[in-house]
Amino acid sequence: MSASRMRAVLLALPLAGMAAGQDMAPILPAALEGRPPAADTSPLQARVDAAAPGSTVEVEAGEYHGDLVVDRPLRLVGRGRPKLVGSGHGSVVRIRADGVTVEGFDIDGVRAGDLSRDSSGVHVAADDVVLRDLSIEEAIFGIYLLRADRAAVERCRIRGIPGRAPGEKGSGIHAYDLTGFRFLRNEITEVRDGLYLQNASQGEVRGNSARDVRYGLHYMFSDDNVFEDNVFENGAAGTAIMYSERIVFRRNTFLRNRGFASVGLLFQGCDDVLAEDNLLADNARGVFIEGSHRIVVRRNVIAGSDVAIVLYDPSGGHRFEGNSFVGNRTPLELVARHTDTTFAGNYWSDNREPDLDGDGRSDRPYRLSTVFDHLRGNLTAADILSDSLAAQAVGAAERAFPVLRVVPATDPSPLARPPQLPGVPPAGGPGGGPRPLGIAASLALGLAGAIVLARGRRPSSAAPSCGSGAAA
Amino acid sequence: MKKLRLFAAEELALALRSRWTQIFALVFAALSAAVAGAGYVLSGGQGVQDFARTAVSLVQLVVLLVPLTALVIGVLSLAPERGAAELIYSQPVPRRTVLLGKLLGLFQALAAAQAMGFGAAGLLVYSQAGSEGVGGFVLLVLASLLTTAIFLGLAALLATGAVGRKRTRALALALVVWFVAVVLLDLAALGIASVLPSGPASRVLMVAAIVNPVGAVRTGALLGIEGTGAFGAASLALFRFTRGAGGVGVVLGASVLFWLVVPTLFALRRLRRADV
Repeated sequence: MSASRMRAVLLALPLAGMAAGQDMAPILPAALEGRPPAADTSPLQARVDAAAPGSTVEVEAGEYHGDLVVDRPLRLVGRGRPKLVGSGHGSVVRIRADGVTVEGFDIDGVRAGDLSRDSSGVHVAADDVVLRDLSIEEAIFGIYLLRADRAAVERCRIRGIPGRAPGEKGSGIHAYDLTGFRFLRNEITEVRDGLYLQNASQGEVRGNSARDVRYGLHYMFSDDNVFEDNVFENGAAGTAIMYSERIVFRRNTFLRNRGFASVGLLFQGCDDVLAEDNLLADNARGVFIEGSHRIVVRRNVIAGSDVAIVLYDPSGGHRFEGNSFVGNRTPLELVARHTDTTFAGNYWSDNREPDLDGDGRSDRPYRLSTVFDHLRGNLTAADILSDSLAAQAVGAAERAFPVLRVVPATDPSPLARPPQLPGVPPAGGPGGGPRPLGIAASLALGLAGAIVLARGRRPSSAAPSCGSGAAA
Repeated sequence: MKKLRLFAAEELALALRSRWTQIFALVFAALSAAVAGAGYVLSGGQGVQDFARTAVSLVQLVVLLVPLTALVIGVLSLAPERGAAELIYSQPVPRRTVLLGKLLGLFQALAAAQAMGFGAAGLLVYSQAGSEGVGGFVLLVLASLLTTAIFLGLAALLATGAVGRKRTRALALALVVWFVAVVLLDLAALGIASVLPSGPASRVLMVAAIVNPVGAVRTGALLGIEGTGAFGAASLALFRFTRGAGGVGVVLGASVLFWLVVPTLFALRRLRRADV
């Protein structure tokens, strides 16, 4: 991205932050840390400094207190999961040479360090670095990749600092100004933003999970990236993709992002994005699109949102095709007078139009609004009655006698039945499966009711004894 | 106390033998099971439907069906034929005891009928994959019982007004009360809100949701089951209106308590003064 475009976009950022309801300012990296003072240095430092470039340093099990600088190309391999305990005054492992590999360590950030100096479990400022099978706990940033082209982070488990406010924590994996990265099968929890990507392009992000965070994915100025099979769950703000081009989302899960302004998947100022076979379920808002062009959303399941789609663009040329919209409170919130977004062949669970000719499509177009949405658009509090019979009555009446000019968005060929979407990942929550307590409670309740009712069926045993034969 | 229990037992036996209660038990069980089952089918087998969303539909079913049944069955049982009324009230038992006992018996019968339905729905929900606990389920049952008690009280109020007169009038009134509580009040609030500026409109909607017994039970149950996600941003507007989550509890509790107690008290007063 050119510097001039970035500057122009930066000027627009306050606006973006307002729309998303969260602070979205880009985070600039701090000055690079050098060698720690002697008192803070790890006992492994001497072995690293003595190793020949290109050699392998094997570290046996044990606890190693202090910070470590790797400034020559080495393979640093832990055997029996040695534990690196940081000094609390900076990053625990600082990688400053190209071609370093670190694998098989537990790293403890000891809940200390300095957010403004990017204190991390592993801080990388070199190219072609591989981090594998690391377990990083209680560090401010998990892994910080600063201008680290072709970095690979695989099977790392990053757990931030539980109980600390998001503003005092760093990201799980923080990637700034790099290309050709690979993030594979990492597990991230309890950090500010699960994955933070800024000016990070031509990468692949596959099979990772980010849970209990602010943003699961916080992403800007990063083009040509592929996201597949990731899980972004329980984010206070969901995921946000901004000012980027040519991004692909496939088979990802965006689940239970339930914060006040949370979005399953937010696009702002993004062009040519493809989202297919994703599961977006139980989010405050499913998909949010503003100031973007040619966003294609197809074959996704978008379920259980307050609003399935929030759309700001009158002329973005977005397409929603073959998605399954299930149990959303309202399908579309359009913050524009009209839109050229097309909806075709989606399934809408609240669509009650019949399919009399049996072609699998409802016989009439589905309109993405009810009169109740019109009221709700002007008045948030209307939702308090949105589950009432009155709201449904108003909606039914309006369908029969259309009087208001409502959202001009229709799906001309809505599916009559939910489509089979084998690519979409299932929503197997934690602890999924039958719940014995619930079954026992239900059985007890049903049985109690049945016994009482059965007593009434036998007049002899329940003979009234108060003497009046009232209304017998 | 013993007399109260006798009347309750008699009313329970009568109610359980009544076709109305039996039909209600069957219909309620069938509909709850259908709602619980449909939740899974509608989600396309994706498994995203867990108890919270099913509970919303079950709450809808409760606030629609339970008031109607409580009112109709209540009025039919509590407004006795002329001869029967004379006979009962000539017994050496205070009128208060008679009415309260009958209410208790009816409540037991309706609760038993609903328990079957909830048991069926719970079995369907909890035998599927999911992660929800039983808290929401308990809350749903509680909401249903409260609705039953509230509308039995209202039925008593209508029925005691019809002592010695025709039951059909009380029955018609019961249907009017049901329609007003379930549809008309909310509809009126929405109508008024749509012509007011947003500040007052917001307050009108909040008040409508709190004052109406059906609204109070529904709002409380949904907030309890789903948390602030229940009404999206409107939940937070409600919290601000009542100054916090505790405030919502107090206000809704007060409303429910009012509707539980006051109609029954008026019914007792009416009965005391009635010339049977």
